[in-house]
Amino acid sequence: MEKVAVRNIRLCTKDCLCLYVCPTGASDTENSIIDVNKCTGCGLCADACPSGAISLVPKEYPPQQPKTDKVKAALNRMAQNKADEEKLAETVAENSESDVLYRLMKAVSKSQRLVAEDLMREAGYMLPQSKNTHDLLKDLAKNPSTADAANKLLSMIECNESKPKKWVCEICGYVHEGDNPPEQCPVCFQKVFKEE
Amino acid sequence: MKFVCSVCGYVYDDDAQKVKFETLPDDWTCPLCGAPKALFNKEENVTKPEAAPVEVMDEDVTELSFGQLAALCSNLARGCRKQYKEEEARQFDELADYFTKIVRPINDTTVEKLAESLKADLESYPALRATCDSEKDRGAARVCVWGEKVTRMLESLVSRYLKEGDRMAEGTSIWVCSVCGFVYIGDKAPDLCPVCKVPAWKFDKVEGR
Repeated sequence: MEKVAVRNIRLCTKDCLCLYVCPTGASDTENSIIDVNKCTGCGLCADACPSGAISLVPKEYPPQQPKTDKVKAALNRMAQNKADEEKLAETVAENSESDVLYRLMKAVSKSQRLVAEDLMREAGYMLPQSKNTHDLLKDLAKNPSTADAANKLLSMIECNESKPKKWVCEICGYVHEGDNPPEQCPVCFQKVFKEE
Repeated sequence: MKFVCSVCGYVYDDDAQKVKFETLPDDWTCPLCGAPKALFNKEENVTKPEAAPVEVMDEDVTELSFGQLAALCSNLARGCRKQYKEEEARQFDELADYFTKIVRPINDTTVEKLAESLKADLESYPALRATCDSEKDRGAARVCVWGEKVTRMLESLVSRYLKEGDRMAEGTSIWVCSVCGFVYIGDKAPDLCPVCKVPAWKFDKVEGR
């Protein structure tokens, strides 16, 4: 698996051993972000770093864990409650004259957003690279207000879930998408399929 | 007798303490997370949620509301930042901001309504957790455990505001854990988040206007 080195700036104690060992100079950037275009994923910097501030992450992420409809529906419902409470707290904060109430409601609003984020992540939207995310972005690309950002994201993020297999009926040419060929062709009722 | 904090799991052991739990004053709070005395349960009363199955919604699950889309997009922005994809994160932030702005206004916006809504969530969490367990979805179950604890704390804070008003946090700070959403009132953020165990620097101080 191809990997790339990333640095956690919170842990970095500027021992700079990464500079000494990097064969391509990928770590000598001013903003402390390792240059992904130069990094070869050799891992020498991660091994050398005395603070454990550098780790290697895969270039391509594996598909996310599948979610059942039951779990998605239940999580979505709670996420909706959390979104409503965020809006409610935000509105109370805006209308409040008390500093304490303002801060408390801002805290509630922020907190409920975080809880909703976790719920939505577990409801099938963990990875930006996932097929779910891509399908959603394709929908958002149809709406003028979100099209710009959605199209940019679609061009920047590659989908990590392989396309479904295609099975072609050798008799009539009917194409079926799925992991396995169908029992029989719905058009010509024959049973000879070939993977495309 | 032992008493367990339902937010952070801190155990108050009567036998090891000078003061019996029952005789502690009503305004006593959990030394770890600040939860009020009322959120403690007797150890034997700490029960597992019953496996009450939740029916699947009729609506198409992919039809998401603006509020859900806002959270979905801001979370994907985080996901991009974790992968050091700054430009992608900015685009997801832009989408999240857009959806946050267009969330429909709510009619009854009172602190009482918020307290009621949080109470209702607390009643729904056991069934939600049971659904995750019966579908063997460990990741979903974990966010339910965190979410329930965070909600429990919020409900107690909002109810406290209704009783005490401004004096509950006058002259002190309010902190939000940037990972799980746990809210803490005090001059300093806790050393470790009592819910998700991240260090103090992961807490954000809520600024006034």
